[in-house]
Amino acid sequence: MKLEILHQPDSAIAKINLDPQEELVAEAGAMVAMSSNLNVSTTLRKGKGGGIMGGLKRMVGGESLFLSVFRTTSEAGELYLAPKFMGDLLSYQMNGKTLLVQSTGYLASTPGVDLELGFQGFKGFFSGESIFWLKISGNGIVLLNAFGGIYEIDVDGEYVVDTGHIVAFEDSLSFRISKANASWWGAIFGGEGLVCRFSGKGKLYCQTHNPSSFGREIGGQLPPR
Amino acid sequence: MYTYDIQHSPAYASLRVKLAANQSLIVEAGAMAAMDSHITMKSKMRGGIMKSVGRMFGGESLFLSEFTATGKPGELLLAPGVPGDVSHYRCQTDRALFIQSSGFVAADPSIVIDTKFQGMKGFFSGESLFLIKASGDGDVWFSSYGAILEIPVNGSYIVDTGYIVAFEDTLSYNVEMLGGLSFKSLKTSIFGGEGLVCRFSGQGKLWIQTRHLGSLINFLHPFRPVKSD
Repeated sequence: MKLEILHQPDSAIAKINLDPQEELVAEAGAMVAMSSNLNVSTTLRKGKGGGIMGGLKRMVGGESLFLSVFRTTSEAGELYLAPKFMGDLLSYQMNGKTLLVQSTGYLASTPGVDLELGFQGFKGFFSGESIFWLKISGNGIVLLNAFGGIYEIDVDGEYVVDTGHIVAFEDSLSFRISKANASWWGAIFGGEGLVCRFSGKGKLYCQTHNPSSFGREIGGQLPPR
Repeated sequence: MYTYDIQHSPAYASLRVKLAANQSLIVEAGAMAAMDSHITMKSKMRGGIMKSVGRMFGGESLFLSEFTATGKPGELLLAPGVPGDVSHYRCQTDRALFIQSSGFVAADPSIVIDTKFQGMKGFFSGESLFLIKASGDGDVWFSSYGAILEIPVNGSYIVDTGYIVAFEDTLSYNVEMLGGLSFKSLKTSIFGGEGLVCRFSGQGKLWIQTRHLGSLINFLHPFRPVKSD
């Protein structure tokens, strides 16, 4: 498999060349283009909590992820994957460590990587969409995407990040969620919702922009639904 | 032939065209960002567009303006409505260009612009393919949401309909539903998810974009205020 990330940092897209008999898992809807000899199938992966309310209604409060599996058969194939937000992509090499990833930050992974949904650590504050966490382990590559630019912080000691800006972090870090401000009024009107206080040693990946802030800012001005 | 350059590609591309004295350029209405003061502007609707005006994606019609540098050379700065990339193509008499309808930016006035619709009946999902055909001998510029990638097709290639920017007419295309990609049955009121793709075959160039506006719209939808009765 050959992976290239093109058009960084604003409109990043992943170009993957698969050898024969190779597989790649991706979030459904991420496929931009592919050679016609690839097979695809899409399934719904559910977490332990939540699920579909009323059958056909939108999923609310549940952790679920539509995943597509792309497979080559006897010939090599090519695949382009892109995330939905304007922003960057990062390829993370899994080698025994566990990575906790915000659901919107997951784009794709190789089959040796395990995805566990619904890690009950914390939820976003004002999330328009149900944002949940993936626990990723195993061996292989994970493709992460960000809203805006993506930057890596080597935490050694303590670090504070607004929860909406977290893309992923290594689970060697311990964390505590708290309000940015002592009072709830302060937290809401100060515009800062929940923050995550990391401590220990490990890598943390942040995005320059906060999807919920963007959603509230623009969505709030759109016609009512 | 035009002197031009594309700046701030691929995320916020703008197109600068230098017009010779009395030279004209056809531009998508609303794309003019800045220009020399002696450049005049005329509204135009082209050819086969009148019939299809109501059927463009999202109700948007292809209104065109003609800009002319009267008396002396002049400069035009053009920007498409959606932030992304701009690419140039030279149409030739034996090679026309299909452009996704909202991607047209500008063209030489001698280029014939025709609208064409190709897609499934359920076009309210926003995923069907609305195309413009640019033919003749001259320059054309088109835009995207996100960056533009050129793919040389030799055989066949599959592209999600929402990511198609443009393609040469030497390619034949077919919009179909790839069941293996579909997840719409479990999620309502979103754009996409039906697994609608366009299968290109033959030999020719294809341009795709790296982002999809429908995804942005889907993301914003839950943040909209809820109507209270």
